[in-house]
Amino acid sequence: MAGYVGRRLIGAVFVLWLAATLVFVAMQMAPGDPAQALLAASGATPAEIAERRAQLGLDDPPLLQYGRYLLQLVRGDLGHSWLHGRPVSQMILEQLPPTVVLSITAMVVGTSLGLVVGVMAAARRGTWWDTAATALAAVSLATPTYWSGLLAILVFSLYLRWLPATGEGSLRHLVRPTLVLGFALSGSIARMVRARVSEVISEPFVTVARAQGLPSRRVLLVHILRPALAPTVTIIALQLGFLLGGAVVTETVFARRGLGRLALEAVAWRDLPVVQGIVVVSALAYVFVNLGADLVHAWLDPRVRERLS
Amino acid sequence: MKRILPALALAAAVAAGCGSPTQADRVVYGLTLAPSGIDPHVNASSELGIPLTSVYDTLVYQDPQTGEFVPGLADRWEISTDGQVYTFTLRRGVTFHDGTAFDAEAVVFNLDRVTSPELASQKARFMLGPYEGAVAIDEYTVEVRLSEPFAPLLNSLSQVYLGMASPAAVERWGDQYQLHQVGSGPFTFDEYTPGDRLLLRRNPDYAWGPSVYEHGKAQVSEIEFRFFTDPATRSPALETGEADIMGEIPPQDGARLEADPDFRTEPVAIPGSALVFFANTTRPTLDDAKVRQALIYGTDRASIISAIFRDTSPVAFGPLAAATFGYDPAVEEAYPYDPARAGALLEAAGWRDDDHDGTRERGAERLVLDVFLMGWGHMPEVGQLLAAQWSDLGIEVNTRVVSYPEALALAKDGEHHLIPFTLFGSDPDILRTFFHSQAGFNWSKVDDDQLDRWLVMAARSSDRAERAELYGQVQRRVMELALVIPIRDYVNLNGISTRVSGLRYDAQGWFPWLIDVTLTP
Repeated sequence: MAGYVGRRLIGAVFVLWLAATLVFVAMQMAPGDPAQALLAASGATPAEIAERRAQLGLDDPPLLQYGRYLLQLVRGDLGHSWLHGRPVSQMILEQLPPTVVLSITAMVVGTSLGLVVGVMAAARRGTWWDTAATALAAVSLATPTYWSGLLAILVFSLYLRWLPATGEGSLRHLVRPTLVLGFALSGSIARMVRARVSEVISEPFVTVARAQGLPSRRVLLVHILRPALAPTVTIIALQLGFLLGGAVVTETVFARRGLGRLALEAVAWRDLPVVQGIVVVSALAYVFVNLGADLVHAWLDPRVRERLS
Repeated sequence: MKRILPALALAAAVAAGCGSPTQADRVVYGLTLAPSGIDPHVNASSELGIPLTSVYDTLVYQDPQTGEFVPGLADRWEISTDGQVYTFTLRRGVTFHDGTAFDAEAVVFNLDRVTSPELASQKARFMLGPYEGAVAIDEYTVEVRLSEPFAPLLNSLSQVYLGMASPAAVERWGDQYQLHQVGSGPFTFDEYTPGDRLLLRRNPDYAWGPSVYEHGKAQVSEIEFRFFTDPATRSPALETGEADIMGEIPPQDGARLEADPDFRTEPVAIPGSALVFFANTTRPTLDDAKVRQALIYGTDRASIISAIFRDTSPVAFGPLAAATFGYDPAVEEAYPYDPARAGALLEAAGWRDDDHDGTRERGAERLVLDVFLMGWGHMPEVGQLLAAQWSDLGIEVNTRVVSYPEALALAKDGEHHLIPFTLFGSDPDILRTFFHSQAGFNWSKVDDDQLDRWLVMAARSSDRAERAELYGQVQRRVMELALVIPIRDYVNLNGISTRVSGLRYDAQGWFPWLIDVTLTP
């Protein structure tokens, strides 16, 4: 097991390097000059803009810029934002907590809802329960959060006046973004759970368990759910990794802080150090969440465990 | 499922019980962007000035009614006859929020900071124009030296970007200064969580406000700023009582707020350049002035204003917004909406639709225009309506929405036929940014000796009447050459709770004088 984790960590370094390199290349290819974007509207002359470009190191050959950037990363230094003039690591740390909190609460809600709906649909296949659950999953997948978010503001804040419309700070502020985002996540989880449970339900060992006269609840929870859930954990981890990169739309609609909004602004202004920093940090989160998921998967499924050791 | 629903209902019920309505003595002000960095000496956004105009004092202030400059931290000033030396006599007895005394050394420190290359200022540095240096003559006298005359200097010094910061605080906090800003204004900078909120608290010691303020001290004890980047959430935030003042209300929500007795809307016309489409005079098709003129005659601005801006914005007639000093109303007569005349001009330029496919041709060439639009300021919607109106004239329009940096690059290389822009600023020198042959925003690609000469003369003249005359000539010339297709003057549509009174804006139109804001419970 330790060897496996070690191998995965080496893989993680490779993934980080790849992410750092891809974002560097993408930003190099993005049209527009960051120095010009920063200064043009302030009445700076073309000469002053050129001066700033040189100051930012943008006149150096791309390979030199790339080398400098990698070297900085290796030292754990994410640099200073061109737009804000502040350390990127500090800016990310400021925005990270609300992103992490929302990601986790939304994941809990999304997973619970997805599980309940998915299991219900699979356990009563072909009935109207199944149809309703499948329809709910479809609605979840098809509803963009900018729309459901606004709808939730209208219903819960403007008409019912139960919850604050926007902002953060208290648990109440967290309820609606959590529900909106959780609902959006539940669809894919429900479909995955339904498919896996339906598959396992027709396995011979389930028939055997039933034939032994075990109570159907025990058959469902122990004999069906455990093998069915193992691959679902991987899907959940992928989604969580994705969420940790920032839920741009949800953050915008609910006027919350978060990495997504920071990333959006940084891309719009070609604020290279910030974009790179966020991508590297998100990649890091992704790698570790997935490593965790694989370990949970191994714990749930003995066959996987065997393969690892 | 059955078990989840009661749990949700319970959670909602608990939540409903612990409401926190807006506090009695705190005004919540909704900003529309989380500003990209909020050190006024470093950063450039207009949003930063909304809170910070109340944190920093400036050497002078501009009276929005008369356009004249009045004393601020400077009691008086003299301009040398060659226009290159400004001598400011400073007010005594002013202290920054941290107790540091304000004096000539502080002014020199601030100007040195703004102009130092290490600070990498994005705006303030360039507002100083041909700045050469500042010298403290004695404790309360400071000289600002220029390498050539620069008429907009006082206007620049009246803005928060050149506000006076406490030298002690700047040195103490280094690259963390923007989280711990210290000025001498009517409010102190209390707490800032980037992306979430910014809290200002009343400065009880404030006793040196300019004559343009109505009160000596702030009337409310706290002002909290929050960021509502999604336009659709702004009016709901007002209606749920989460904000008392909100900028940039979408026009379609404005009518609803106006109908509600608890709110009012206040449109503030922003001086600067109007929203105009720059016509690339070097690109074939638009290199012919007749075609450019046809585009202006063929644009029904009134219907654009009514459809998109719900008549909250004035129609623009020239390159300068009507709220700007030096605006020349003569441009209003130049191009009435006249599609028949537009058609005739296109015919005269050789563009005819002989094959009746709806698009005009000249020889083998079709009349197609490439238009690049940025995603803000309602530009995509305006672009859509223009495309529809011009298609009736037999012009095909290709629109593409691009990011700001990409738009800058495309326009610089002259890839466009048309590209819209609008820029804020109460000094008409803003015209030099667009219509001088060497200007960074010369998106019309104009190279006209008269324009160059007038713009430079006006930037160097300190005689207001002479400047107004020169800028009038510039505006008429721009329209004579049909360099732009004007659409609308920019208006900031503020939504305001009726609890709030006394809200006024400075000469830039963006920055509120919060000292005078009062709340009725």
